[in-house]
Amino acid sequence: MPMKLLVAILLFGIGFTLLPLESSIRAERLRMKYGGAHVTFQLREAIGQNLAIALLAGMRGVVADLLWIQSHGYWEKHEWLRQYRNIEVVATLQPQSVMFWDLGQWHMAWNIGYGAFSDPNNRTKAEGIKREREWHQKALVFLNRGIENIPNRYELYFTMAWLYFEKLSKDCDDPPCREAYCKSAEYLQKACSFPDAPQFVPRLYARALEKCGDLGAAYEEWKHLWFLDHSKTDQAWSIIEREIRRLEDQLQIPDAQRVFPQPAQ
Amino acid sequence: MTETITAESSRRRERVGFSLQRVSVVAANTLTEAVRQKVIILFLLIGLVFIVLAVVLAQFTFGEQMKFIKDTSLGVISVITTLIAIVGTAQLLPSEVENRTIYTILAKPVRRFEFLLGKFCGGLLLVLLGMALMCVLFAAVLWVKEQGMIRELSQTYLGESPAAHLEAQQQIQQVQTEVWDVELVKALVAVLTQAALIASVTLLVSTFSTSLVFNVVVPLMVFIVGMLRGGAADMWGTHRLFMAVVAVIPDFGLFNIADEINLGKVVPWAHIGQIVAYGLGRTLVIVVAAHLLFARREI
Repeated sequence: MPMKLLVAILLFGIGFTLLPLESSIRAERLRMKYGGAHVTFQLREAIGQNLAIALLAGMRGVVADLLWIQSHGYWEKHEWLRQYRNIEVVATLQPQSVMFWDLGQWHMAWNIGYGAFSDPNNRTKAEGIKREREWHQKALVFLNRGIENIPNRYELYFTMAWLYFEKLSKDCDDPPCREAYCKSAEYLQKACSFPDAPQFVPRLYARALEKCGDLGAAYEEWKHLWFLDHSKTDQAWSIIEREIRRLEDQLQIPDAQRVFPQPAQ
Repeated sequence: MTETITAESSRRRERVGFSLQRVSVVAANTLTEAVRQKVIILFLLIGLVFIVLAVVLAQFTFGEQMKFIKDTSLGVISVITTLIAIVGTAQLLPSEVENRTIYTILAKPVRRFEFLLGKFCGGLLLVLLGMALMCVLFAAVLWVKEQGMIRELSQTYLGESPAAHLEAQQQIQQVQTEVWDVELVKALVAVLTQAALIASVTLLVSTFSTSLVFNVVVPLMVFIVGMLRGGAADMWGTHRLFMAVVAVIPDFGLFNIADEINLGKVVPWAHIGQIVAYGLGRTLVIVVAAHLLFARREI
């Protein structure tokens, strides 16, 4: 058998033999949600030739970081649409980065949104408000994609809750919009379920419940926090006590059922 | 008389068994020659400069500076290591042929396989050395950044309450954990395996080609196609014809796990083991294929 043929058989043979291992590695990566979008024509168009080559060399993180720096530059120059495009590309390249989703939605809802609202080219104030709301919606859609990609960490649930709490709660004809606070509470409840959620998350959950109109649930949440072991849990106990006292007065809880009974007159 | 001598020398040659010592001698000589190559030194310098620059560039980021430093440094280590593996290996055989030193070596009781393996190991040692240098600088850069961050945190909490100091201590511990992440070793293991594989591809090409440019360009193309294989497999993964065509090209995208590690994901050792097994399995077979071609080559 000619040697070249033997070599070809060897090379193809090992290729075929290792195909199941290759598939297994790829499947495991898919399961563990590794990687991001592949280099497609659309992606190449968006990031340019040089960065596409860097992507091909396996420098996905570097490309994402460079685009992120560039996006920061666009922000400073108030070039919102370019910034938005970069944020989208960066999140596509590294969908497992919490920071890109978190700061990306913040740029859209807070910075670009306000930029659109206060744009001197707006003919009326209503146009500014409409444009700002559109950016809030873009942030919402963007963050939803983030949660789909990273459902196993508290950060993006909290970010989504904060978006509803701070921005979407004002996007209705008669603000504050109760529904937005209720949605915020939903996301905060999810964020609270993660053991590494910071101490302010459950406190904000109680506040969101109150703003949603469910004072009873808010009171129960504050009480739940208060009855946690003070020696083992790091919390702002004075704030919790203050809120419980306030709600007990507001809800006119009978003295016998109060956590902090009123002092005898 | 001449016939007797030829037969005698032929028998002696037949008796010469495989010797790891001879392989190591060839490898050591290869390394000595390779480290003197200006192009390798240039690549290394570029890599080292980029790793230092990562700290400066990180100042421009809005967000996690440590992520940027790690992304850039690991990316540079990966690219430079790959380039060193390709360029370093590409000239191993052609330079021996051009300088005619190969005739002197092969005239001695050195098997062609030993010679080839020695050359390959020498190339790998060069890659390892280059990578070690870049890793040392990477560690130094991380240490400098860590110290800076700790200093900044200490100053922020200076004169604050004991509770704030406790919080500062926790943050400092978090910084240290983030900086000295053991997971980084896994990324480096993957990069090294990738370098070994691409070096073996280059060695294979250099066994039948005498052109240095060809020896460099073909493995580079294989590398790029290998990087694209993952995407192509996702699109046409089940197509038999596609699988038959691409089976010969290694999937280099599989070695890219640095991104995941930098994003704080824990990559299981079992997964690294699979990647290493895949890389080394292919490397081994490619080296054997290179030997088969080299054994028949007229020198």
